[in-house]
Formats: sequence, structure tokens, C-alpha cells
Amino acid sequence: MRVKRAISGWLVLLVVLHATVIFAGFFSPYDPAEQDRKNPYLPPMRVHFVDARGRFHARPFVYSLRLHEGTFDQYEEDTSRPLPLKFLVRGASYHLLGLLPARLHLFGVQDERIYLLGSDSYGRDQLSRFLYGGQVSLLAGLLGAGVTLLVGLCVGAVAGYFGGWRDDLLMRLAELFLALPWLYLLFALRAFLPLAVSPLQAFYLIIAVLGAVGWARPARLVRGVVLSAKERDFVRAARGFGATDAYLLRRHILPEASSVLLTQAAILVPQFVLAEMTLSFLGLGVPEPVPSWGSLLSSLQQYSVLASYWWMYLPALIMLPFFLGYLGLGGELQQRREPYKIGKEPGGLR
Amino acid sequence: MKVSDNDKDMQPLVRVENLMKSYANRKITGQCEEVRAVDGVSFTIFPGATLAVVGESGSGKSTLALCLACLEKPTSGNIQFEGADISKLAEKERRTIRRKIQLIFQDPASSFNPRWSVLEIVAEPLALQGSLSRDEIRLRALALLEQVGLSPEMERRLPAELSGGQRQRLAIARALALEPSVLILDEALSALDCSTQAQIANLLVDLQSARDMTYLFISHDLAMAAHLADEIAVMNHGRIVEQGPPDKILKQPQTEITRELLAAVPRMTFARPEAQ
Repeated sequence: MRVKRAISGWLVLLVVLHATVIFAGFFSPYDPAEQDRKNPYLPPMRVHFVDARGRFHARPFVYSLRLHEGTFDQYEEDTSRPLPLKFLVRGASYHLLGLLPARLHLFGVQDERIYLLGSDSYGRDQLSRFLYGGQVSLLAGLLGAGVTLLVGLCVGAVAGYFGGWRDDLLMRLAELFLALPWLYLLFALRAFLPLAVSPLQAFYLIIAVLGAVGWARPARLVRGVVLSAKERDFVRAARGFGATDAYLLRRHILPEASSVLLTQAAILVPQFVLAEMTLSFLGLGVPEPVPSWGSLLSSLQQYSVLASYWWMYLPALIMLPFFLGYLGLGGELQQRREPYKIGKEPGGLR
Repeated sequence: MKVSDNDKDMQPLVRVENLMKSYANRKITGQCEEVRAVDGVSFTIFPGATLAVVGESGSGKSTLALCLACLEKPTSGNIQFEGADISKLAEKERRTIRRKIQLIFQDPASSFNPRWSVLEIVAEPLALQGSLSRDEIRLRALALLEQVGLSPEMERRLPAELSGGQRQRLAIARALALEPSVLILDEALSALDCSTQAQIANLLVDLQSARDMTYLFISHDLAMAAHLADEIAVMNHGRIVEQGPPDKILKQPQTEITRELLAAVPRMTFARPEAQ
């Protein structure tokens, strides 16, 4: 666009957060499936600069944890064994972006293992699982939103532009889908498929279901925009120059819908990530050992975990900035909807 | 202005016969009410001439314009253009006819895509023709801008950055791009202030003599219509109630509606304040 826009702070936040998830292999210290059976439900290790004797260390360190005497799940810091943090260390091998084989990790400790977010019942590192799980959950959210918006765009454009019986049919269908209890629809769909599906199949199933239930709202929004856009004089004028329907939709009418779609995308992505989490929480998501945000939280289904291991909630807390980023961006996009109103200075809305 | 060739002179460019356009107005009760926007209108326009259609808002002028520009299908009646009936053509044929009958709108705010630059706007009809190269399109578009008195330096501006008069000049330039034989001006001057109105009116007169254009001038302003047109038709409730040369309409109005429109024309009066 011709008018230079200030880069949104929300966008920067989102880019940074997504980078940590995309390069999960580098940012996480371990493989998400790697188990440490000796250390189940280990609480998060605190990063120290000052040791037990009050001496300051320039290099941050953690203390290794040992069982409190007489208990089986209470840990305490072993102050005799500081584990200095090492940066850019070689560790478990992974594939960067699923392609490049690499062994470099942002941080790690020697000999022992570090758990900044604690460990789960198998002693798997929660931080690594969170970052890798984000790949699955965010991708499901993004792809689901993409499918939804694509379907919504096509349906809305046809209904709004051509009108008549197509409009009636598509909008009644949209109302039906809006009224559908989608969770139960999903149960029914899942029951239809074999009990054990591969992680990839389950992933596609989630996206298909999210897309199938989500298209109605964007379709109605796009239809509204198309209805008002096609009556504008510049659309009439272009028809007067011999423009075809396809040209009018592509060049004049659908660009009007772009800001609505962007705003919708920003709202839908977190919504779909949450939907994926719900599914995984209920055991209908991507199966173990592939981590996803929903399966990370699904251990909270057990009361003992809920009550005793508070750090199992932490992933939910860290997800918040992701969702806030999307919603903040969505709000900002909505405010920028009509940048070039005639009669105002371009970009005068800012 | 009129073509000297006698045969051509006799052949009208546009002949509208008993044109009717009605819309179905669905009420909340489910009943359908037929609204006749244009109700049996007939007229002819000769090449190089200007017909003004004058009427109050809601009298069916704009619907008439849309039907004539092939943007709406008339309910009944026929429209002959260059001797052929164009009111019942298929969409594909209408598309080619539309290029020859161009429409200029009243509202400059919605006449242009607000995201497009001046150059893109003028170039659109040329690009839609599909037979010109990018460079040719650009050259022609700049020439068109110059013809209507816009400087080529404005090519990168957005419509929001133009004045009302500049926007209407831009609309005229765009409409001329396809070298139409008829230009329909649907309240094209109404949104402009007085001095700008006069400038654009002069531009229209100049273009008519230079290009042998035929105008259908639609307005509620009887004075401006009389200034520009060879013939005036007064419309009311979808019908033409009075038709004739401007002199006759101004001096001997036959109907009440014409007298009302005449009374609405602002007059210069010098009312000196009484000395106190």
C-alpha cells in the first residue's frame, strides 16, 4: 500500500512468539518424547544468580532437585550441586523446520537435566513439549482458519454477488451450521472412523472439522460486504466498460472484503487453537506421543495432578500471550478497516 | 455539430419506445407491491444532440439512465441504439454495447475505487478492452487526463486527494476512454459548487463539439438543462409529462411540475436593505 503504516506491536509480538515455536528444536533443550522415568512430576527449576552462600555468579545456574526425605513426590533443591546454564550447547539431534539436521540448542546443563517448566508423569520436559506442541496446535489453528476463510469467502461471494436462489440456499445452510452443536458433530464423525488413527490423519480430521463448522460466520460477513460493494458506482462503471463478473469480483468487490477477512483470521486462529485443545483434552485430538497444547493440559483431567502439581497449569499461562497477540492484532485491523475514505485525508483514521 | 449528411441526420442514434421498468417491493406482510420507476417513456436522440431529462428526485430519471446504459434490463418496451434493439440482448452482447453508452454518476465518492490511483482509474476501461499494451494504455490514459484539464502529475494521487471538480473531470476522462457515442450524465453536476459546475459544463460543451458526442443530460436543475440541451423532457412519476425545446419549456411551461421546477431555479435579485 502506498501509505506507510506503523508496524503493529502485536504483530511483532506474534512473530517473536511464533519464531520460538517454529524453531522449537533450537529453543527447547530436549526431544519432547524423551523420557526421564527417574524424575516424574519434577517442579520447575528456579534460575539463580546468587548461590546458597550469598555469592553472586555472572552465569545463571539452577540447582538439581532431590526428593525430600520421607516423601515420594516432594522435591527440594540440592544446594551442593549447582548446574551452571550453558548457552548454544550441542544436545539431542533434531531437524530444523523438519528438514535441516541439527544438534545445537539455545541452552542446557552438563551431565544433569534442566526442567524450566517442570516435567510430566514420564519425566518429559514440559518446556520442550510446549514448544513442539505449539507447532501442532498453531498449525491446526492457522490451517483451520485458512480453510474456513476460503470456504467462507467463496460462499459469501456467490451468495452476495449472484443473489436469488443461490443466496437463499447458501444462507439457510449457513444458519443450519451456525445452529449445529459442533462438538457432538465431531463426536459422531470421530465415532465413524476407526479407533486408532495416525497422528497425521487425526490432524487433518481436526482441520476438516474446524473448517466445516466455522465457515458460516465469515460467509455471512463476506456476503454483507459484497452486497454493499456491488451497488457502488465504481462497480457499475466497470460493468459499463464491459467488465465480466469474474473481473468485478476479483478487482473491485473481493478486495473490499480483505480487511474483514484479515480481522476474522485474527479472531479465528486463537478460537481454533482452543478448539483443537478441547479436542485433545477429550482425547480426540492428535494422539500421543506427538505433543499438542491440548494433550499437554489433558493430564489435568486427573484430580491428583490438578491438586498437587501446580506447574502443570503453566502451559496454559504461557499460551495467553499468543492468544492476546492475535486478538490485539484483530482489534487493530478492525480499526484500520477503511483507510481511504473520500472526503478524508488518506489514513486519516489513525 | 449535426452531421451534414442528410440521411444520417434523419437517423436517430437512440430511440426509446414505451420503456417500462418496475421493481417488486416485498412488504413485511409478504405481499408483493409493484413499483413502476419508469412507466412508458418514449424519446429519440439524434447524433451530436443533447437531450435533457429533468425531474424531481424519485421521478425515475436514474432508472432510465441505468436501462439505457444496459446496466438494468427494462421490464418492457424497447431501446434502439444505432438502429438495433438493445433491450433484449444476452449478457455477452450487452457487454459490448455498454462500452458505447457511458454513464457518469452524481456521487464522486463512490464513482471510483478508493484504493486506486488516478492513472489506474483512467486506465481501467482501456485495460478491459484487452488489446493494448501496458505502455499504450499509459500513454492514452495520460492523454485523456490532459483532454479534460487534469495535469498528468496527478496520476499517482488517490481519488480522496482530488477536489470535487477534479473528480468529475476524472470521471469524464474515464468515460471517454472507450470513445463512446453516447454519454449519459446522471446528475453529474449536482454535487459541485456553482463555479465548478460552470467549468465542467463548458468542458462538456467543448468535448461535444470536438468529438461529436451525444449527451443525455439528467438533472433536476432546469436552468443548467436549458443551457446545455437542444431539447428538454420533464419527467414526473416515471412518465414524460412535457417535452420541447428549452425556450418553449422555460417561457410557456405547460404543467404544474415544470412550473415548480422553474420556481426552484435560483435567481439573482438585488434586494437592497432599506435605509434606516
